[in-house]
Amino acid sequence: MQIFKPPETPDGTAAVELKNVSLRYDDGSDVLSALNLALPPGSFHFLTGPSGAGKTSLLKLLYLAQRPTMGSVHLFGTDVTAAARRSLPAIRRKLGVVFQDFRLLQHLSVFDNVALPLRVAAAPEPEIKSNVTELLSWVGLDNFMNAKPAVLSGGQKQRVAIARAVVNRPRLILADEPTGSVDDAIAMRLMQLFIELNKLGSNIIIATHNEQLVARFEYSRLALADSALTELPPLSYRSAAESDQAINEPQT
Amino acid sequence: MISLRTDLPWSGDSASRFIPWLVAIMVFLGTLAVSGVAVFDTILSGWSKAVTGTVTVQIPALPADSEQEANQARTDRAVKALKDLPSVEGVRVLANTEIDALLAPWLGERAAASDLPLPDLIDVTLVDGSTATIEALRSAVTTVVHDAIIDDHRLWFEHLIDLTEGFRLLTIGVALIVTTALALTIVYATRASLAEFKEVISVLHLTGARDAYVATQFAKRTLSAAFKGSAGGLVAGAFALFAIGLLARNVESGFLPDIGLSLGFWVLPPLVSLFAATLATVTAFITVLSTLRSMV
Ligand SMILES: Nc1ncnc2c1ncn2[C@@H]1O[C@H](COP(=O)(O)OP(=O)(O)O)[C@@H](O)[C@H]1O
Ligand SMILES: [Mg+2]
Repeated sequence: MQIFKPPETPDGTAAVELKNVSLRYDDGSDVLSALNLALPPGSFHFLTGPSGAGKTSLLKLLYLAQRPTMGSVHLFGTDVTAAARRSLPAIRRKLGVVFQDFRLLQHLSVFDNVALPLRVAAAPEPEIKSNVTELLSWVGLDNFMNAKPAVLSGGQKQRVAIARAVVNRPRLILADEPTGSVDDAIAMRLMQLFIELNKLGSNIIIATHNEQLVARFEYSRLALADSALTELPPLSYRSAAESDQAINEPQT
Repeated sequence: MISLRTDLPWSGDSASRFIPWLVAIMVFLGTLAVSGVAVFDTILSGWSKAVTGTVTVQIPALPADSEQEANQARTDRAVKALKDLPSVEGVRVLANTEIDALLAPWLGERAAASDLPLPDLIDVTLVDGSTATIEALRSAVTTVVHDAIIDDHRLWFEHLIDLTEGFRLLTIGVALIVTTALALTIVYATRASLAEFKEVISVLHLTGARDAYVATQFAKRTLSAAFKGSAGGLVAGAFALFAIGLLARNVESGFLPDIGLSLGFWVLPPLVSLFAATLATVTAFITVLSTLRSMV
């Protein structure tokens, strides 16, 4: 998987930083309230909390689909809270997002769905072909390249969504319940993909309410409850060697 | 060759489906209008309002009981006014005997000697290359003799020229309206498609697409649809022109200048199609950019 090589983040800057961030949708009360958070470059975190706790909302703030009601959001040392519309594409090309509902384009083949982030960035077609093909065989979908999403199972769609999120070698991967529709064996394989990408330097945040999955790994946890983060991560980078241990000896 | 690969689900889009038909109709109408302008231009350049050669001015006789001197004074005033015009070379009042000769076939010999109130006739010779119009002569004469009459034939022709110029302006107006209608309909169709593709476009944006990427896909799609349509409109328009050309050939030659044979004329329909396709494509592109920008 040598294709994934995110550029280095300058020393000393957090890859992801939230300063006093609150979010409130038009009507109701605060979904997120006064969050403070700084994740070092190359970190790997689970974002946990019961359904409705605000996991998806927090991820939306990070991929700039939602602006905070208060506070500021920083990515790779840049304040993106009020990023101008024309600067959004450049920021989003550094991100890979696995949406909870996949958001695959129904009229495009699996191949074209995964190719999307490369096409919008005007990558050359031969490069697109080799990268997408390699990634699809990694997630076990090489026989479905020309299939439309409608004929895929939930787990297969999820793998397409993950492939699309990581195909452009993002510096930050935001995955919303990425193992929600797959069985244990495939969940472990997909987790291994994220771990590989993390070893290559990508920051990973995986939102999940699957406690079993979280328990299998020693990655630190961002726990959301009552619109606040109750469990903050240590501000240190867990090395790749330590995380290897976690996969090789999964708990049952 | 530009790639027509697209990320947008056009096959399920109803708004863009009528674009080829729309462009075909607009190209057809536009071809007729632009050709009309060209035809009227040709006609008008062959016709001229300027009077050449000689013109006859009539000074009607006053009622029989008025004095002979009064009639003479009216004619003198007209002659003087005409002589003062720079475009007039010579003025000659026809003698009574000449009038007799003109009227003999209808009134018999010696009509002028009778008591009939015959008008005085003035032959006006114009300077070579003069651009004076009948209206100019008329206003000069009627200021001094209010009921003087000038050569109705020329005047009728001047009115025909005015009418033709009116038609020319009308066809220019039609061409402008067709252009505007095409642009506005493309704006409407593009906005409808944008609304229909909202979810897909949102995914494109979230994966890092710029507005221009989306706009380019719309432009490519509109270009291919407009090309289909303009080809159809071009064929229909050319057929109509050919048919009109055949009909015009039956009009007495000499009156209408020869049109439809020059090469320049047949270049117009392809130019109109090209213009329509370009207009549609650029309009779609700009509409996408401005609509997306306003969505924020
Ligand atoms: N677009 C929205 N408009 C209004 N309320 C929303 C919207 N999205 C989420 N919410 C509300 O915000 C809260 C958190 O939702 P969400 O972020 O989806 O939580 P989670 O992903 O942890 O299940 C829920 O109460 C939900 O109803
Ligand atoms: Mg959620």
